[in-house]
Amino acid sequence: MRLKLALALALGAVGWALPVLGHGVGMEHRRVSSVEVQARFETGEPMAQAQVLVYAPDDPAEIWQQGTTDDQGRFSFVPDESVPGTWEVVVRQAGHGAIATIPVSDGAGAGAETNNGTGEPAPATTEPSASSVISPNTTLSPVQRSITIGSVIWGFIGTALFFARGKR
Amino acid sequence: MQRNSFKAFTLGCLALVGLAGCGSESPTATAPETEPTETASAEGDRGTLVIRANGEDFVREGFTTKDGWEVQFDNVYVSLADITAAQTDPPFDPEAGGTLEAKAEVKVEGTQVVDLAEGDESADPVMVSEVEAPAGRFNALAWRMVPAESGPSEGYTVWMQGTASKDGETLPFAIKVNEELAFTCGDFIGDERKGILAADEEADLEATFHFDHLFGDGGAPPDDSINTGALGFDPLAALATNGTLDVDSAALQAGLSEEDYTTFLAILPSLGHVGEGHCEEVRLTAL
Repeated sequence: MRLKLALALALGAVGWALPVLGHGVGMEHRRVSSVEVQARFETGEPMAQAQVLVYAPDDPAEIWQQGTTDDQGRFSFVPDESVPGTWEVVVRQAGHGAIATIPVSDGAGAGAETNNGTGEPAPATTEPSASSVISPNTTLSPVQRSITIGSVIWGFIGTALFFARGKR
Repeated sequence: MQRNSFKAFTLGCLALVGLAGCGSESPTATAPETEPTETASAEGDRGTLVIRANGEDFVREGFTTKDGWEVQFDNVYVSLADITAAQTDPPFDPEAGGTLEAKAEVKVEGTQVVDLAEGDESADPVMVSEVEAPAGRFNALAWRMVPAESGPSEGYTVWMQGTASKDGETLPFAIKVNEELAFTCGDFIGDERKGILAADEEADLEATFHFDHLFGDGGAPPDDSINTGALGFDPLAALATNGTLDVDSAALQAGLSEEDYTTFLAILPSLGHVGEGHCEEVRLTAL
């Protein structure tokens, strides 16, 4: 059975409001950026009371937070915005599992994702082999793009010169 | 003279366009242009990736099918080829159906045949191969299942052999599958994380096979999807002759009802997993 993880990201500014005091009771509040996931089976049935494991991008081997989904398969958490990158939420139940990846930006809005979730420098790319099951990326290189663009432009110029030469 | 120069220049441009076009069809490095490409081969930035295959407890300990057969496996051979582990960012999601673009990848050369029933219930998942790999996060795994080139399961992609018992009847069986399959999977999901490879260290990746999808699980409710979608063992047992079941895909096609054979074919693409994580099957489902 396939699983689906729907993701809702609620964003808000982080900041504390001044406490309100009355009869010796203190209360304060703050708005935070939270993430809500909802896990469902392919049938649409929610993954109720399923195990949830949250991993931070700076240490994807260690559980950052864990909990369970509610009866609707929902789970919310507040990622640490000082740890930008790809956060991961794993939901598991009865031998089935699904994973959601959530890019979280830092305060400056830059560097939202680490290269591989480990915080390590990106490793060099190895050449995908021709028989690989994984599809190779076929995007043009900058040199190939320049040659193509230049050739097309020259094609236009050549065509214009051809018709402009007149009859001799 | 001027006209000849013009022709020569034009031909040169056409040749360059051709080269550029050919280049676009060749496998190319998939790292974004801004990514550094220096560290993978540097000494100390590599580790060992151990590729394992796991039939889970269903295969090593035996289980009860949805229709009450007690199944014990002697051997479950699977023939794996082009096993490719990849680092992807953004992480590859097989359920989203996108293209897997690898920042780095390593491949196990050749075809490997392993017996998923090897070892007792406490044994580690069987090792398929060890490969040296760049340190980083291997969060995608792909492999093909092709007919074995030699050995006891020669000619078959999957060979299941064992005994099934029900109501005092014991039925030796050999179920041999010819269909080729290819799985493309995302990150491993299980009790522990896998594929996180640090420099000079070792990390596991696992191709997991869920044979309960084929036979069902007697321990689960009858209306559980693991049972409602499974073939079970009764339709197979009905094909036994002289107290033995020995069938391949052709015999299954000939002997099973059309509905059961369709169910059998529909289950094969769901056998491959990465732990509890799902995979996309791209070979049989494309036929």
